[in-house]
Amino acid sequence: MSYDEWFREDRLPHIYCAGCGNGTIINCTLAAVDQMGWKKEDTVFVSGIGCSSRAPGYILTDSLHTTHGRALAFATGVKMAKPAFNVVVFTGDGDMAAIGGNHFIHACRRNIDMTVVCMNNQIYGMTGGQGSPTTPRGCLSSTTPFGCAEPPFDLCELATAAGANYVARWTSYHVKELEKAVKVGLETPGFSFIEVLVQCPTAFGRRNKFRQVMDHVEFLKSHSLLKAKRDRMLDNHEHVPEDMFVVGELTKRNRPAIGVKP
Amino acid sequence: MTRLEFWQGNTACAEGALAAGCNFFGGYPITPSTEVAEHMAAKLPKKGGVFIQMEDEIAGIASIIGASWTGARSMTATSGPGFSLMMENIGFAAMTETPCVVVNVQRGGPSTGQPTMSAQGDMMQVRFGSHGDYAVIALCPATVQEMFELTVKAFNLADKYRTPVFVMADETIGHMREKILVPDSVEKTGRKPFISGTPPFRVTDPDLIPGFPAFGTGQHVHVTGLTHDERGYPAATNPKLHMALVQRLVDKIENARDDMADYDVVNPDAEQVFIAYGAPVRTVMQVMHDKKDNNVGFLRIRTVWPFPEKALAKFKNAKRFLVPEMNLGQIAREIQRHVKVPVVSIAKLGGELHTPADLVTALEEKA
Amino acid sequence: MKLSIDENRCKGCNLCTKVCPYKIFREGKKLNRKGVAIPELDRPERCTNCRLRNLYGRQLCGVCQLTCPDQAIHWVEEEPYEPHKVAIEY
Repeated sequence: MSYDEWFREDRLPHIYCAGCGNGTIINCTLAAVDQMGWKKEDTVFVSGIGCSSRAPGYILTDSLHTTHGRALAFATGVKMAKPAFNVVVFTGDGDMAAIGGNHFIHACRRNIDMTVVCMNNQIYGMTGGQGSPTTPRGCLSSTTPFGCAEPPFDLCELATAAGANYVARWTSYHVKELEKAVKVGLETPGFSFIEVLVQCPTAFGRRNKFRQVMDHVEFLKSHSLLKAKRDRMLDNHEHVPEDMFVVGELTKRNRPAIGVKP
Repeated sequence: MTRLEFWQGNTACAEGALAAGCNFFGGYPITPSTEVAEHMAAKLPKKGGVFIQMEDEIAGIASIIGASWTGARSMTATSGPGFSLMMENIGFAAMTETPCVVVNVQRGGPSTGQPTMSAQGDMMQVRFGSHGDYAVIALCPATVQEMFELTVKAFNLADKYRTPVFVMADETIGHMREKILVPDSVEKTGRKPFISGTPPFRVTDPDLIPGFPAFGTGQHVHVTGLTHDERGYPAATNPKLHMALVQRLVDKIENARDDMADYDVVNPDAEQVFIAYGAPVRTVMQVMHDKKDNNVGFLRIRTVWPFPEKALAKFKNAKRFLVPEMNLGQIAREIQRHVKVPVVSIAKLGGELHTPADLVTALEEKA
Repeated sequence: MKLSIDENRCKGCNLCTKVCPYKIFREGKKLNRKGVAIPELDRPERCTNCRLRNLYGRQLCGVCQLTCPDQAIHWVEEEPYEPHKVAIEY
């Protein structure tokens, strides 16, 4: 397929573990980028630190692999200095929600014209599986050996509240839906945020009864609840199970944005 | 042609940046550097540049590094606490060889310290603050005129050496109003052009500086803070490559020490020699003016890092170096590394400038 | 068109065996020189994209390629093109 030409072929295969879904998300993002008809020299991929943030290194455009959590601040500099560029940010849950939380809410508030794809594996993968701000309650990690006691962040709610123009959530199982969501995000002027729940067999699955990749993907598939269905359940006063998460296009609006292509 | 103005140091700094063609400013308000940001906010958009107030200093320096890679001449201004926050990304700029200018209008520390008082306590932090080995360029203005000129110079050095350059002013200079002669235009040296089709971090010139492949020129450059090879690809587990890379980053600046050296020598045959940079220069000049003693020398340093050690050798008869600083002897220790005669630190904290009497007392004290 | 798995890239995660609607991919048994069991293809001529891409002139399905985290699945042109008789069970 044509998005193949967006890869730095000389760097593949990438460093992700067998079964990691980050590669899937790169595929879906590049497929969407390819449909936009953008030129490679006008497109910049930015990332911070972590598993997710290795992604721009495999993409054949100008790419900026920055310090932990600061991807959005660097991307803001790139986009404001050259609004003609198309800026896509890859980030992870630890990178964006923990150390980069401040930059995240402010990028949403500014509604700066960029698309952020957050690979949420609910754990710090690259450092070996420590609890992150999105680790669900009760889940095990190397720093929550008795189960995570803290409630997790809902990143999409956060982005919506902070003012992002487009917010969607999918999983690494929903590849076609994810591709479409990223494409809508790229087309939307202003800040677009796409959270992708992704399996991490090495750091998360191993400790949380998803020893097989399939089990984790099956969990993501069976526990995702379409927004329309959730709304219907709420209307009918039905009980929405706590372990389900909502997927779909959660926010789409047209607030004033900055850094929009002239 | 020049025109005469009566400006505050921070205004002169911002005007210097504008004259040097700065077209991106990302910053965060902090006393006593705020006027730089305020002036840029008012002037930059009218010149077609971009001013953005970021959410913190970390984001401030991050945004100027991002902007620099698009080819912009970018700058931020801060003071001690913000400077501490910037440290990680300063290392990133050094590692990725990103030209950018950071103005630090120093105030009393540590911690919140004395926001409205003057100090020179960040002189070692600017050199060694980020982790790992790297080299930086730091310039210290002592007058409002120098605030303008050294800011222009900082942009030129940043572009030439592809490194973050620091204008280490202090509250005294930043908030002082003084006569200044503003030139109509200033000299601007651009970045070394990139040879299309070559690996982005390949170095062929003896100056060890690679050409600058700006984003948007179709070079598909991968910029990473990880140890990288000449293609820019991560190679963090290659010991030889890391050694070579870090050595080159340091050498490209240290080797150019003499080119960058910027100092004035007064009375080179003197036995007692003052060495000063920044605001204490003004007190030393007063003492030199009052004493009119050929046996008292003066070395006025503008480029503090890399330290111009050859300047010390100009004072062949020196028996003693006296270093007035608004810190507890940070640069005095650096000077002592290079000379055999005693170096006396005249330290003064608290935010007030040395008085001429302070210096005269130190001068007359027998070693 | 013909399905092909790049042995250098495949890490043997078997995600393709889960997502293909025709169950063309089956877990591999034999390890290759990198120690990875590359999935086997079960009657790959059933693949929608293999059969109909040239007829429709666009990418069809393609879920396995999008899902493959290691960019190992591709379609290659068959030379010369041979029409297949395909039995499809539902």
